[in-house]
Amino acid sequence: MADQLTHIEKVKLASNGLRGTIEESLKDELTGAIREDDQALLKFHGMYQQDDRDRREERADKKLERLYSFMIRLRLPGGLIKAEQWVAANEIADQYSTGVIKITSRQTIQLHGLYKSKIKPTIKAFDTASLDSIATCGDINRNVLCSANPAQSPLQKEVFAYADKISSLLMPKTRAYYEIWLDEEKLFEKTEEDPLYKDRYLPRKFKIGIAVPPNNDTDVFTNDIGLIAIVENGKLAGFNIAVGGGLSTTHGNEQTYARVGTVIGFTPTEETTLKAVYEILTVQRDFGDRTDRKIARLKYTVDRMGVENFKAELEARTGFKLQPAKPFTFSARKDYFGWTQSDDNSWHYTAFVENGRITDGENNSIKSGLLEIAKGDFGEFYFTASQNIIIGNVSPENKEAVDNILSKHRISDYTDATSNVRKNSMACVALPTCPLALAEGQRYMPSLISKIETLLERYALEKEDIIIRLTGCPNGCARSHISEIGFVGTAPGRYNFHLGGDYEGYRLNRVYKENLDEEEILGELDGWFKKFKEEKTPDERFGDFTFRQLFN
Amino acid sequence: MLAENKLVTLQQLIESATNEELIWMNGYLNGIVGKNFENSAPAVPKISTKVTIAYGTETGNSKKLALDFAARARKQGVIAKVQALDQYKLNDLQKEEIFLTILSTHGDGEPPIAAKKFYDHVHQNGFKLSKLKFAVLALGDSSYPLFCKAGEDVDAQLKNLGADCLLPIQKCDVDYEEEAMAWFDEIVKSVTGGKSLALTGKAAPIKKKATGKKYYEGRIITHLNLNDYGSLKETYHIEIEAEEIEYQPGDSIGIVSENHSDMINAILEITSAADASYIDYRGEMFSVRELLTQKLNIVYMPDRVVKQYAQIAGHEILPDRQDLLDLLTDYPINSVDRFTEMVKVLEPITPRLYSISSSLEATPGEVHITVAKNSFYLKGEQRLGLASGYLSLFKTGESIKFYVHPNHQFRLPADDKDVIMIGPGTGIAPFRAFLAERESTGATGRNWLFFGEQHFTSDFLYQTEIQSWSETGVLSKVATAFSRDQAFKVYVQDKMWEHRKELSVWIANGAYIYLCGSRDPMSYDVEKMFIKILEEFGEGSSEAEKVLAEMKERGRFITDVY
Repeated sequence: MADQLTHIEKVKLASNGLRGTIEESLKDELTGAIREDDQALLKFHGMYQQDDRDRREERADKKLERLYSFMIRLRLPGGLIKAEQWVAANEIADQYSTGVIKITSRQTIQLHGLYKSKIKPTIKAFDTASLDSIATCGDINRNVLCSANPAQSPLQKEVFAYADKISSLLMPKTRAYYEIWLDEEKLFEKTEEDPLYKDRYLPRKFKIGIAVPPNNDTDVFTNDIGLIAIVENGKLAGFNIAVGGGLSTTHGNEQTYARVGTVIGFTPTEETTLKAVYEILTVQRDFGDRTDRKIARLKYTVDRMGVENFKAELEARTGFKLQPAKPFTFSARKDYFGWTQSDDNSWHYTAFVENGRITDGENNSIKSGLLEIAKGDFGEFYFTASQNIIIGNVSPENKEAVDNILSKHRISDYTDATSNVRKNSMACVALPTCPLALAEGQRYMPSLISKIETLLERYALEKEDIIIRLTGCPNGCARSHISEIGFVGTAPGRYNFHLGGDYEGYRLNRVYKENLDEEEILGELDGWFKKFKEEKTPDERFGDFTFRQLFN
Repeated sequence: MLAENKLVTLQQLIESATNEELIWMNGYLNGIVGKNFENSAPAVPKISTKVTIAYGTETGNSKKLALDFAARARKQGVIAKVQALDQYKLNDLQKEEIFLTILSTHGDGEPPIAAKKFYDHVHQNGFKLSKLKFAVLALGDSSYPLFCKAGEDVDAQLKNLGADCLLPIQKCDVDYEEEAMAWFDEIVKSVTGGKSLALTGKAAPIKKKATGKKYYEGRIITHLNLNDYGSLKETYHIEIEAEEIEYQPGDSIGIVSENHSDMINAILEITSAADASYIDYRGEMFSVRELLTQKLNIVYMPDRVVKQYAQIAGHEILPDRQDLLDLLTDYPINSVDRFTEMVKVLEPITPRLYSISSSLEATPGEVHITVAKNSFYLKGEQRLGLASGYLSLFKTGESIKFYVHPNHQFRLPADDKDVIMIGPGTGIAPFRAFLAERESTGATGRNWLFFGEQHFTSDFLYQTEIQSWSETGVLSKVATAFSRDQAFKVYVQDKMWEHRKELSVWIANGAYIYLCGSRDPMSYDVEKMFIKILEEFGEGSSEAEKVLAEMKERGRFITDVY
């Protein structure tokens, strides 16, 4: 069987605790890239090697290699970053990267455009600010999501703590990160024992999200493990556990599919919840497919084993039975824009950030504004799973100061002026840096949304909360498969057009038409908006309407 | 030995004789002695006069001549010692009897680097050379305004110091062989007293070479800026196709730039000089436009020209480098006659040399150059260097005139020798030629390249080619220094220090070292570092300098710096 392992499996096994030859790769003076095998390992350290695809041809003419750079992604469980850490991140972004701080769809931030020579200084500077990028990419548990807005529930703080606990529980044991990037001395010749990941790590990436009903802002069913907080009598009773969510597919590969998580039971305590989460990873570690990366995610393992068998294997490992799942209801999948107040009287402001890109631009000077707020230590920041930012835990006496800064930098004006459809939209990075992209993502989305806004206004639908998501490939970073209107890139300027997903995030959309260009997309939407306006039932949402029309 | 009366007669004769007469007598006597002892003496009698031939060379022409001269002298019984001027002990000058120097001129009237110390020494004036007899052979290129200037300076200065001039200075143009040989034969004649003892009147026939520079009419087939966005540099890679082109790696090409038509139009407008009117410039008739476009240097003109302009224009002008257009704007010349007069004092455009960065073995029929666009500030405005500005504006398909300027010094060693190449910036050019050559010929010696620039991502000249040579093993080692990619500056010499151990092993194994790029400060810093490394590995400090000097002498440390 061993010879059927994928190449990356072999790289992991031979990596000596994720070290590989990264140090040698860094020393190579002839190239800005790192060795191919090390690129797979680098992901476990929170980085992707990318290159500016727009510049390939011109640089080849200049006898220069591709413009290689690195993307680095931080580990921020639940998306929380403290004010002084933000000041540091802002400085690091300016000094070593493109200067744009990108909020991801997994509640963290990433910097693009770091050259090889800048990686170590960047990681050192992050370390000084107590920030790290461990395990934010790669075949390992990634950044843990959690509903972030403190005003969402009185139990938000208690639930939020789980994100950090789970993140710590599932960290790799290797010291490679500290040795390679922070010059920590290697103490033992032997590679560290890692009872969870062993020497193989997971067969594929692994995502965990926590949601607090009634808001499914973290898209909990799209995660390998979704934890749904159950509140009874004003207390946190425990978590329903959903397994096997995941959106990525491959065009033309029938074996691949998007899947929403299956709720398999309930755990009442911290101990049982953490134990269940941990052992779900060990089941995936031992049963996941390591011969084909396209079908290696937990969703395929669950379906191959069958949900009941999977649950039985899990219970054999935890030593306890899962309790029956508790009832719950999601009624929204949204961010609470503007000011909200929590029970402890502190205030929280959610600002809209187009494409999650924090940079001073035409719309506003959000980067300068956030820096000013952070320097004033007026609160802390949470990133949402929809790539927006919450300025959280602002004391009542500081609210006015924050308000003034928000207004001075046109952050509040811009948030207020942005349409519902734009606020609910999301696109992935795609071109020019993402190696997987088949079509444009975030560079294209703003202009497409503007055209859709015009169509909606034509039918007086601009108040509708419709979730529109676009990705440059079928891997679904921006979760396009679980939106009411989804666009999945197939080729430059062309997208598969998906309809029928719901607003709350229980139901996937489906491909309605393939390979449409913009004109065809707008033509389709014009027809559907007209039909929706004329034929929708009272309170019927667009996603449910199209589902009823097309797939029911 | 002599009887008193004979001795007195001889002494009287000697006292009344001029130096030339003495030399003649010396030769004459030698001849008689030689004849009388014909049976016992070798066929060619020795002349005891000490002749030193000292050369200062940049591209190897002077050295080659010096060696030819010595061989030629030997055939005529004159023993001549050949010395490189950078190795010459300056105090020996006062002890010399006959001192011949072959000196080329570079740039704006400068001596070769190797002759700089000697040149400065004779200009010190603190001593007398009354016993010395000398003659100067000056090499140059008449397309430069200060043709053979370094040779002239040395000739004049030796006279000032009281030395006797054996023969007037001979100034030679690019086709120097014939004149040089004729001059040397004259020297030998005077040394041997008019009778060449062995081969009188039978000087070896001079191989007549094609005269002058051979100009090629090339076509630009590739023209691109190697630097990427964000760079402070513009370095052009230019590929020129030319029929029957011949050169060797290490050579340069010379290009005579043209002035930009915008500037010419402005000048013609300001002076209202008729476009088509003709002017006699140094014996040839040219239209004003042709003259200004193709022949005359009108940008960044030297002070000596500005001075002459001031006289003709009748203005007080501070002597400083100036553009003609600026002068005409600030200090107008009103009459056409004056304008014509002024044009005649302008100097010709001098050719600029660029190291060839290709090998005919790899790319037959093509010559490649690597040109850094040179910009500088004049009166607070950014200006482009004439030649690099001219070259940077070329387009693919356009034609260009050039000639090959050989550099006999800068040659690859035997195929099995190791080569260390230190070439930051455009200093990479001849090494690209070397590597292409060695790759094509399958040379077995190892190659190690040191390259440096400002930024890795935008300034790594020929990166993909270097990567490929590294992958195929043509390059055994590459060390790069990008000065501005980290908090502290890193240069090629720092990389040499980093690799000093291996470098010393290569040197011990007989590696040849080549250095190309900017003279100041790069070449000085690299040489300093080289000495430091020699010291680190066992040589005492004076010893290390000697080792370097010896390596230079033996052609194992070769520089082409500018």
